[in-house]
Amino acid sequence: MGRVVRDLFVAGCVALWLIPLYLLIVNALTPATAYEGRPDWTFQGFDFVDNARTAWTEAGIGDSFQASLLYSVVCGLLAVLVAAMAAFAVVVLPIPRPAFWFWLIYSGTLFPLQIFLAPLFGLYADANLYDTRLGLMLVYVAWAIPFAFFLIRNQMTTMPPELTEAALIDGASFGRIFWRVHVPLMRAGLGAAFIFQFTAVWNDLLLGITLSRSADVQPVMAALTTLNNAYSSAGPPVILAGALIVSAPTLLLFLVFRGLFLRGITASAR
Amino acid sequence: MTETVTPAAATSAVKARGRRVPIRRRVPTRTPHQAVRPGTRLGGPLAALPWALPAFAFVGVLLVYPFFRSVYGSFFEDNGFTSSYTGIDNYTRLADDPIFGRSLLNTLMWVAGTLLLPVLLGLLIAVATHRTRFGGAARLIIVLPFAISTAATAVLWNFMLTSDGAVNQFLRSVGLDSWAQTWLLEWPQNTLALIVASTWQATGINVVLFAIGLRAIPRDIVEAAQLDGASGWRMFRYITLPQLRAVTVVVVGMAVVNSLKAFDMIWILTKGGPSRSSETLALTMYRETFRLFHVGYGSAIALVLTVIVVVSSWAYLRHQMPDTGWAKS
Repeated sequence: MGRVVRDLFVAGCVALWLIPLYLLIVNALTPATAYEGRPDWTFQGFDFVDNARTAWTEAGIGDSFQASLLYSVVCGLLAVLVAAMAAFAVVVLPIPRPAFWFWLIYSGTLFPLQIFLAPLFGLYADANLYDTRLGLMLVYVAWAIPFAFFLIRNQMTTMPPELTEAALIDGASFGRIFWRVHVPLMRAGLGAAFIFQFTAVWNDLLLGITLSRSADVQPVMAALTTLNNAYSSAGPPVILAGALIVSAPTLLLFLVFRGLFLRGITASAR
Repeated sequence: MTETVTPAAATSAVKARGRRVPIRRRVPTRTPHQAVRPGTRLGGPLAALPWALPAFAFVGVLLVYPFFRSVYGSFFEDNGFTSSYTGIDNYTRLADDPIFGRSLLNTLMWVAGTLLLPVLLGLLIAVATHRTRFGGAARLIIVLPFAISTAATAVLWNFMLTSDGAVNQFLRSVGLDSWAQTWLLEWPQNTLALIVASTWQATGINVVLFAIGLRAIPRDIVEAAQLDGASGWRMFRYITLPQLRAVTVVVVGMAVVNSLKAFDMIWILTKGGPSRSSETLALTMYRETFRLFHVGYGSAIALVLTVIVVVSSWAYLRHQMPDTGWAKS
């Protein structure tokens, strides 16, 4: 009896989760011209390529896609490097008041983005960084550092200090210890931090719409929002195809590196 | 951090014991220590500074400075061009601004809805799929939307929830015409519909976290309870739930904070409308600052939101940072 209820509950949940995904795929495949103003529940055609092309070129998803790829890869890598160095300083090196440094950097993840936005906008307007790729990249790096730092620091504290001591006795410098001992040993952790920050930057909307405007600077989620605002004129097939395109990179990362992908968030639960 | 066994700390502990001040001591399995001590041949305590400096520069200039600038700016009447000092006027205005009141109410609805739906549902699904045959596959499907951005999820749910969208179409086709609604156009169902849409995305990660917690429950506890005749509800209530306490704190903390920060979903589905009825604090701040150019007022709202976020993350931060010694004491 209990088992039947349990299985029905799970099956119901799975169905509820699958229906929107199914509708997403079916309607993204419907030819834009064949769409009759109401959602299709069965396959009407396989015109994904056409819909995707319309979204990619006419709606400007393409430009933003390339910009976002640049932001996510470069900012993710840079943030992980800078955060790993800071974690190294706080955990391994004799920095005075490590707790102060920890909280200073970590506080960046606690606060909602809203508290930074207005001054950032002013700062960017003054420094001519508004609506430039460089400007967005700088803020993405800064935004990605705190949580990457948290993840990497937590992992670094589990490494035995005897490793560093041995390397010091062998005469290695700090730089050598960092690159030859800590970085290789923490490959998985650094990878998880990179995937987490890549996803975070890729999925960002708020910073994008606040600090940029033109199509080749705007990140991809902002472009998708613009496309969605033209709901009735562009037509759902094109919009949903756009949603699928912008989801592809993170979805791919998730399916290939499921363990690492979830590690960022599950690490904070232990 | 790892200062537990430095000589200074040790002597102070002895002194403290001499005065019979009860001190709590952690019992580490192996004593952590700083491998590099100040005063080694590699330079003094400042040798580490260059390593932390890039992070400090980025965070300091682009996050810490704007934070304090926002706090400072919230005491000014500022339209983006001219600003004048008005003291706490922005904060007193909040009290009798009906839009702020509605926004606060919506924010509370988001928090309550998040606890009720993604967290509770996540717990139930995790328990129901634990050690079952297709449990892993079911969990994978439910966590799949987590890999899709909130913006894309919002676009998909816009398609579901518009007045001639899939939800209404389904309700009409099964004869529940009276249930079909203009989901996004009236308060309160627009906020509720948004919460449901975000549940679809956010539940999966809670399932994963609870599943980790479930796997960590020691087998012998469960077996002992089984020997004592516990099963079903009693097992859940007296064994599973207490054992999941630590995970629950984190899940609840993260879920509440995320619901307070929710922006993308609301912005794309309703833009906070119609007539600002579905705004939460995160949206109200954005609209006041960047659409209406009430920069000072927006900063005041941002500060209120920040205080709420920090206070509500306190519980899970205490849990998350057991070894910094700062959050614990």
